[in-house]
Amino acid sequence: MSPEPTGSTGSGPFASAAQVELTLSVADDLLVLARLTVSAVATRAGFDIEEIEDLRLAVDELCLQVLLGRRTGRLVLAMAAEPGCIDVWSRYEGTEEARPDGLDDEGDLSERILDALVDEHGPFVHDGRPGAFLTKRRALAGG
Amino acid sequence: MEQDIEIEVRNRDGSTVVAARGEVDVATAPALRDGLDEALDHDIGTVVVDLTGVTFIDSTGLGVLIGARRRCVEAGRDLRVVVAEPRILKVFEITGLTELFTIHPSLEPALGA
Repeated sequence: MSPEPTGSTGSGPFASAAQVELTLSVADDLLVLARLTVSAVATRAGFDIEEIEDLRLAVDELCLQVLLGRRTGRLVLAMAAEPGCIDVWSRYEGTEEARPDGLDDEGDLSERILDALVDEHGPFVHDGRPGAFLTKRRALAGG
Repeated sequence: MEQDIEIEVRNRDGSTVVAARGEVDVATAPALRDGLDEALDHDIGTVVVDLTGVTFIDSTGLGVLIGARRRCVEAGRDLRVVVAEPRILKVFEITGLTELFTIHPSLEPALGA
């Protein structure tokens, strides 16, 4: 599995590699469901409890990076997992402009959290819509 | 879907304690911010944020704490944080906030420090 590159077009991970796709209403503050879903997917992929906790926080931050203060529209998450590896993509669907004002602290903290908890993360564009992805692999035993 | 978070603001031993219980994320962080605003309005001594009952915190929640600390500094007041759960302490560590906040493992030393 590999992240969808920045500037990509077409169906990308949302139609091909994704095994789970979740659409959430932004207005209803449903990130708890994103965290629950990644917990279930990561469990099936063989991640341990500590790694699953890391993923819960990382996916939450991934969503926040896409939302950037927006309070309307939809957040779409796609997840693909195989033993020991999970990819998550998040994109925003809606018309509201990002409202990053006042999110300076949170944005910086979010980057630090993702840097610490996952193997790869970054932005991508899916059908012209802003998104972000992360990849987390299980730590090798003894590594 | 409504997420549960409990915020309690009380005075104890000359400090104002803001105790949170539950998950602190973009949905519930405003409740924590309201509790901290109330504590700052009390104008009673040190502000102690007790996160003993918190099981999850993201950058939104941390941002609320940073904002409260900023207001405390401006008001010449001290802000201390109580973190007992290793998962929560890890979030402070990886974001470098252990350098910014005075963190205690339980409420008693935070009140007595």
